[in-house]
Amino acid sequence: MSTTPALTRSQTVRRVKWRGGLVAWAFALPALVFYVWFLVAPAFQSLVFSFTDWDGLSPTYSLVGLKNYVLMLTDPIVHTAVRNNLVWTGVTITVPVIQGLLLAVLLNGHVYGKSLIRTIFYTPAVLPLVSVGSIWGWLYNPQYGAINEVLRAIGLGGLAQPWLGQDATALAAVIVPAIWLRTGFPMLLYLAALQGIPKELYEAATVDGANRWKQFWNITMPGLVQAHLIVVALSLIDSFKVFDLIYVMTYGGPGSTTQVIGTYMYANVFQYYRAGYGMALAVSITIVAIIVSIPYVRSQTRRDDR
Amino acid sequence: MSGFSRRGFIGLGAGAATIALAGCTGAGSAAPTAASSAAASVDGKGKTLRLFSYEDTTALPFVQSVAAKFDAKYGCTTTIDNLPGSGAAVYPDKLRTELLGGKGPDVWRIWGGSIGSPYAKAKQALDLAPYYAKYGWDSKINPSAIAGMTFNGVKAGVPTVVIGVGCWYNKTLFTKAGVMAPPKSYAELETANDKLVAAGITPLGTGGKFGWDIMRLFEYLLEHTAGPDLHDKLLVGSSSWDCPEVVAAFTLFKKWQDKKWVPEGALGLDPADIEPAYVQGKTAYAISGPWTESSAIQAAKADVAGFGVFALPTDKTPMRHSGWVEGLMVNAKSPNVDLAAAFVDFFVSVSSQAEMQNTSSAVNGAGADPAKFPLSAEWAKGPGQDPFYTIQDQAFPKLQADGYFAIQSEVLQGISTPQVAAKKMQDVIKSWVQS
Repeated sequence: MSTTPALTRSQTVRRVKWRGGLVAWAFALPALVFYVWFLVAPAFQSLVFSFTDWDGLSPTYSLVGLKNYVLMLTDPIVHTAVRNNLVWTGVTITVPVIQGLLLAVLLNGHVYGKSLIRTIFYTPAVLPLVSVGSIWGWLYNPQYGAINEVLRAIGLGGLAQPWLGQDATALAAVIVPAIWLRTGFPMLLYLAALQGIPKELYEAATVDGANRWKQFWNITMPGLVQAHLIVVALSLIDSFKVFDLIYVMTYGGPGSTTQVIGTYMYANVFQYYRAGYGMALAVSITIVAIIVSIPYVRSQTRRDDR
Repeated sequence: MSGFSRRGFIGLGAGAATIALAGCTGAGSAAPTAASSAAASVDGKGKTLRLFSYEDTTALPFVQSVAAKFDAKYGCTTTIDNLPGSGAAVYPDKLRTELLGGKGPDVWRIWGGSIGSPYAKAKQALDLAPYYAKYGWDSKINPSAIAGMTFNGVKAGVPTVVIGVGCWYNKTLFTKAGVMAPPKSYAELETANDKLVAAGITPLGTGGKFGWDIMRLFEYLLEHTAGPDLHDKLLVGSSSWDCPEVVAAFTLFKKWQDKKWVPEGALGLDPADIEPAYVQGKTAYAISGPWTESSAIQAAKADVAGFGVFALPTDKTPMRHSGWVEGLMVNAKSPNVDLAAAFVDFFVSVSSQAEMQNTSSAVNGAGADPAKFPLSAEWAKGPGQDPFYTIQDQAFPKLQADGYFAIQSEVLQGISTPQVAAKKMQDVIKSWVQS
């Protein structure tokens, strides 16, 4: 005979929920440990180092307070890098997203060779960025590169430029392959999202006399709201991480013309032996990236909650 | 960061003539008995060593062969990690990352001057003074080269290479343009350039992507306009860059581009692509070191007789060229420092240097084999014996060097006038000196 008093219904529900919660945490724990150990702890360490004058090699360092952050405000290369990051972000979100959307809409119907076209547009997205940078570096070669060769061949030799070797064109020249790389991803996402829009809506709109333009704005675009959010948010996050293409194609040059925060941070930490300052740059860009990611993360979390 | 005494550079360059001479005399080539017995006392059985280097693909097999012989002698296992082709722009980054990761190489190759200095300052590189005494390196290796790997009095490296850069040219293209002999003065060099351009040939193959390659042109022009004394003072910041000689050098620098004596869009070109172009017949010459004989001429299976080398004429006395020191450092945290030092000793033996075909060896008695490397041997016996000024990307810390490269870039693009560039250079150097 049990002497334990009978549990009320609400107590039972609470206990089950508590146990269920524990199970969930138990499953998440290994991943959380890795996450904290390999991401949160180093990030926190970087935050601490951003308040020091550590050179990145020596065993000792001194605390310098906010000096590194104040220095950023007057560093002309930081200004250039921030400006370049903004230009990069604006262009490499807008152009690939619009191109991806247009391609998705065009490929959504019955198009001959659709799979091949999709593959062609998506393939650049899976190529290693270093390879892409090297290939485009050759294409841009002022004397022997294909771009200038083609311009000369069609009588537009006057437009041939040292694309990567002058301030006026270097950043734009690096952005072009970035656009080429990043068109495939939104195209795929939009294509998937387009499959989810009921065909009946288009049939009804057609019956009501709506032309394709009106259908696009009143059915397609509202139906892609979630896709827009994902595409723009991921593209935005991706833009803040720009490093590889710049590093491979221009090394931040000519001079410091194509420096972005990522490459300048790298230069400070790994080349100038100013790890404290470099980490202050890293912390700053991380904070900005987190802030702009919040709407996306919240939307995803809300959707999961539902 | 400037752990290496700035004044140390002057002494380094001034002793270069001795380096080249000693390299050909064979003095001190016999390993001291004490050193041999010291090496024999090292037990390498079952131990491992890792060498991190930046050998080009033609040199790597020779280094691997030397490492294999070392392993056979000591019963250890030496692995070689190699990062060729990036130059001083990338290699130190990877080395630094490995060292910070706690699993750095036991021995690494590195440039001297401001590139090697941070590793000594941070005490990542072992103070090798006891091993200098143990192995008698002071008598095996030229003292001036040792000075290039000594940082604030600490012998943190053992020099293996002393390199001087000269003008490596394509004889066929020179002849085609009517340039029948290497120029003996700067005026003759300009005349040769004009003839080459008139013949449809780009004279100098140089690329500004990382800054350091096209820098070799500017530093040459600075030696021509400023002369040895002022050039040395400029390099250590004891004389202002805002002076007529620097303005004149920047003016000439721009002239080289405007007259198409360098490739179109040179600033955006990768040195690895454009420097060997003189072998391919796309440019007439390159400002390079003796490694180009194996890595460019012989690698392309071109006839060495079709190429030549001469010192860029400065019209100054003494005649100098750009140069630098490279060597090996030992990881202060290596669990096998004795074995690592034994490896360094094995590496700098005359026989190992000969096997590695080191055409610019810092080891007394080692040098280019005239049968295998006739041009390098010609350089070593001739212009290579002249003193050198420290190449500028080793004279300046990377931060200042990048500031300097940015100014070079602005001059070539016409963004800064030579006068403005000289003032900006003074600002860059002043901030370094003050720090």
